[in-house]
Amino acid sequence: MAQGVTIDAAFWGAEAAGIVALERELKRLRRAQSAHAREQARTVARAAVLNLVVYADRELHARRSAQSISDLASRHPSRAIVLLADRGAHEGAEGRLEMHCHLPTAENATQVCYEQILIRARGDADERLASVVIPLLVPDLPVFLWWTGSPPVAGRAFGQLVGLADRLVVDSADFARPEEMLPAIARISAQARGRFGLTDLNWTRLTPWREIVTSFFDVPAWRPFLDTVTGVRVGFAVDMDGRQILPSQALLFIGWLASRLGWRPIEALAPSEAGGLLFAVARADGARIQIRVRPRFERGLADGDVSGVRIQAERDGQQAEFVIKRQPDPRHQTASVLLGGERRWERTMPLPSFEIVELIGEELAIMGSDPTYEEALAALVRLG
Amino acid sequence: MATTVVNPLREGLRLARTPEPSTIVIFGGSGDLTSRKLMPALYNLALQRLLPATFSIVGAARQPLTDKRYRDELHTAVGEHSRTKPLNEEVWRSFAEHLYFVGTPDERGYDTLGQRLDRLDQDLGTNANRLFYLATPPAAYEPIVKAIGAHGLRGSTGWSRVVIEKPFGRDRESARVLTETIHTVFREDEVFRIDHYLGKETVQNILVMRFANGIFEPLWNRQYVDHVQITVAETIGVEERAGYYEQAGAMRDIVQNHLLQLLALVAMEPPAAFDDKSVRDEKVKVLHALRPVDADRLSDHAIRGQYGRGFVEGVAVPAYREEQGVAKDSRTETYVALKCFVDNWRWEGIPFYMRTGKRLPKRSTEIAIQFRVAPHQVFSREASEGLDPNALVLRIQPDEGVSLKFGAKVPVQGIRIRTVNMDFDYGASFMVDAPDAYETLILDALRGDATLFTRRDEVDQQWAFVDPIIDAWATAPAAPPIYEAGTWGPADADALVTADGRAWRKA
Ligand SMILES: NC(=O)c1ccc[n+]([C@@H]2O[C@H](COP(=O)([O-])OP(=O)(O)OC[C@H]3O[C@@H](n4cnc5c(N)ncnc54)[C@H](OP(=O)(O)O)[C@@H]3O)[C@@H](O)[C@H]2O)c1
Repeated sequence: MAQGVTIDAAFWGAEAAGIVALERELKRLRRAQSAHAREQARTVARAAVLNLVVYADRELHARRSAQSISDLASRHPSRAIVLLADRGAHEGAEGRLEMHCHLPTAENATQVCYEQILIRARGDADERLASVVIPLLVPDLPVFLWWTGSPPVAGRAFGQLVGLADRLVVDSADFARPEEMLPAIARISAQARGRFGLTDLNWTRLTPWREIVTSFFDVPAWRPFLDTVTGVRVGFAVDMDGRQILPSQALLFIGWLASRLGWRPIEALAPSEAGGLLFAVARADGARIQIRVRPRFERGLADGDVSGVRIQAERDGQQAEFVIKRQPDPRHQTASVLLGGERRWERTMPLPSFEIVELIGEELAIMGSDPTYEEALAALVRLG
Repeated sequence: MATTVVNPLREGLRLARTPEPSTIVIFGGSGDLTSRKLMPALYNLALQRLLPATFSIVGAARQPLTDKRYRDELHTAVGEHSRTKPLNEEVWRSFAEHLYFVGTPDERGYDTLGQRLDRLDQDLGTNANRLFYLATPPAAYEPIVKAIGAHGLRGSTGWSRVVIEKPFGRDRESARVLTETIHTVFREDEVFRIDHYLGKETVQNILVMRFANGIFEPLWNRQYVDHVQITVAETIGVEERAGYYEQAGAMRDIVQNHLLQLLALVAMEPPAAFDDKSVRDEKVKVLHALRPVDADRLSDHAIRGQYGRGFVEGVAVPAYREEQGVAKDSRTETYVALKCFVDNWRWEGIPFYMRTGKRLPKRSTEIAIQFRVAPHQVFSREASEGLDPNALVLRIQPDEGVSLKFGAKVPVQGIRIRTVNMDFDYGASFMVDAPDAYETLILDALRGDATLFTRRDEVDQQWAFVDPIIDAWATAPAAPPIYEAGTWGPADADALVTADGRAWRKA
């Protein structure tokens, strides 16, 4: 019982006794892999374009992220260092670090190899983590820190690891208490400016929604409606029992509109039926916009994902509605425009995959932080 | 440009440069190019969500078709030719709703087309932004352009642009006349001449390789480069295109456009910016500096050939003159090898060997920069037996990538040197499927970015270079030498290079 979780050596590789042994083992594995490839008249490129450090406090999360990294390796070969904080079984016991490494071959890119290292911190070993990460980083390559779960903003290990990173990746969809975490992330992001970039995978999930909403207003005839919005409705997915209420993504969407269009809070977020939120903001010209964020059960959606958007506007007596619906199977978005209640335009587009690996891949391609996200977050915090 | 409204939501979106709402009109909408390339490209742009917010496609040709029939035919064609399979039926349905056909057999047809376009503008709330794509046989280019002008098909507001397929003229004079005709309706900055090679990712990568990196450019000149080889090798024969090819030959089909484009990209000076003016200004300078081939000593610089029977990839293939639609005594060249010089400060005296042909042993497009050997041999002759000169090879297709050939010590006691390849494989490094050239080019034309299209002065210089060679061959008493299909061209082509003490690369 006091052993904590068992490490699957078949998945994570054999245990090595310390950094030097670990490096030696990696070298041996690389040579074995090239020899194997040479027999099949191939060469293996040791490729790494970044250091990816993952922090997880559950083996399940560690394993899942390792899988994502492996799927990503062909596009973003990395040295991946997975930190597993295995505190549970060893409360109070002396901390100890355990290291494993292996060279998974990326699926459908057998000529590229990358390196994966597991550091398991048993017991109270969090504060030692940075000291083992530093020597393992491949020099001269950017460091991405992917924090699964809610980051312990005030924690010492968190501070140290963030200090090593060029970029921090979080997923606000995982935040148990978004009303506390989102402002906290906004603070981190403000402090991060110029030191490291911050990415929220949940924001990346919003990209296709933002793109379509934006594209409506590329049409010169529809553009003026953007100044005369009267109401916005955003739906987000919940499970059948309505227990997992995760409105972060929907709220970020509202924050984005508010920041881009200069909407100001006039009423605080107020809970409405069944986990929804109902509130009002003021347009740049002072008129009132009714905002409604509500949970909906829909098959095939992950909890918290936006399920639909409806923007209502009125100008010179004409009613306009800009609607995006999401169809779970096959995955599509249908965008339509209604003027005076009459459908004027409709188009259906595939919705890009929201697999974690796709999201991370998208983020790794970009180095800087995203000021639009920061502004959306700031606007959201003001609304709250 | 008329009213450009700012969309405050665009800021910070990664797809910051989405085309404006518009309509594309494809003349030759029922043709082969449309069904094999253009429509699959447009559909794939829709799949990638890269089309404008409101967008419609109008096909035009002389034979009438109903919208329904047109949609059905393209449904099949796109299903077959799309690079992504299977067809996403949901997306296709929505795409096809905005797909129309108008017959333009006569003047009335063009008026109907005009009315259809006006109505679409109204329905779509667009600004009469129109892209006219000429995908017809070249003989139809001029009448269609004139009709666009005469029937006022350019919208009253918004932008209008015209895309013209290759070939652009069949010599310098006809290209000039065509440009002049087009200019009666479109300004030069509204004219987008296609060279689909420029739309290829790996061709654009030549510029990135050269100008985004600091390590290559210092070596990229006569001081370090011994010579350059450019190869565009096809395994296919003339296929169904005999009618066109008999009139064109390899010189017009590949050299005038694709090969000279590759040459320009390799030889050009760094542009001040990656924009249409800077890039094309520099490319034109290379074409200006290209030394004209001396017609009296033609065979020292230009070799032609025509394929005979042989075996390609294990299959017996007929001779060119036995192909359907080809004259029994055809003198059309299916192979060209050239030795060129770029007379400028950077390249003085450095030969550029270029070759292209049909029915060669292997499909391969590549550019090889062969460097000079080390100035002084430190190692013994025996030790460096296995050493070739350094070469940087840019592979355009297939196996897109870059490799650098250099010498390394064989791990034994004592020194023995072997040539090794340092390989960068485009496909393995970025596992995403590269977009098709036509996707890139159509999207650029919709955005109004002409960087990857050929400007009038470029076309003019290209023809200025190839015309005298074509003329000399046309009047030469002898027919082109025959090379066996499945070989690397006629023996004379080897002589072109070996005379300088060099050899063609084993591509
Ligand atoms: N096919 C290719 O892979 C390829 C590759 C590179 C470049 N290109 C170039 O693309 C162009 C088209 O080639 P293609 O192979 O698609 O030819 P194609 O299959 O013969 O099609 C020609 C199309 O043009 C239409 N057309 C002819 N005259 C017309 C006119 N006066 N007004 C309106 N439409 C007219 C034809 O329909 P109607 O007869 O009903 O009018 C047909 O739709 C050519 O310039 C070719 O050199 C083709």
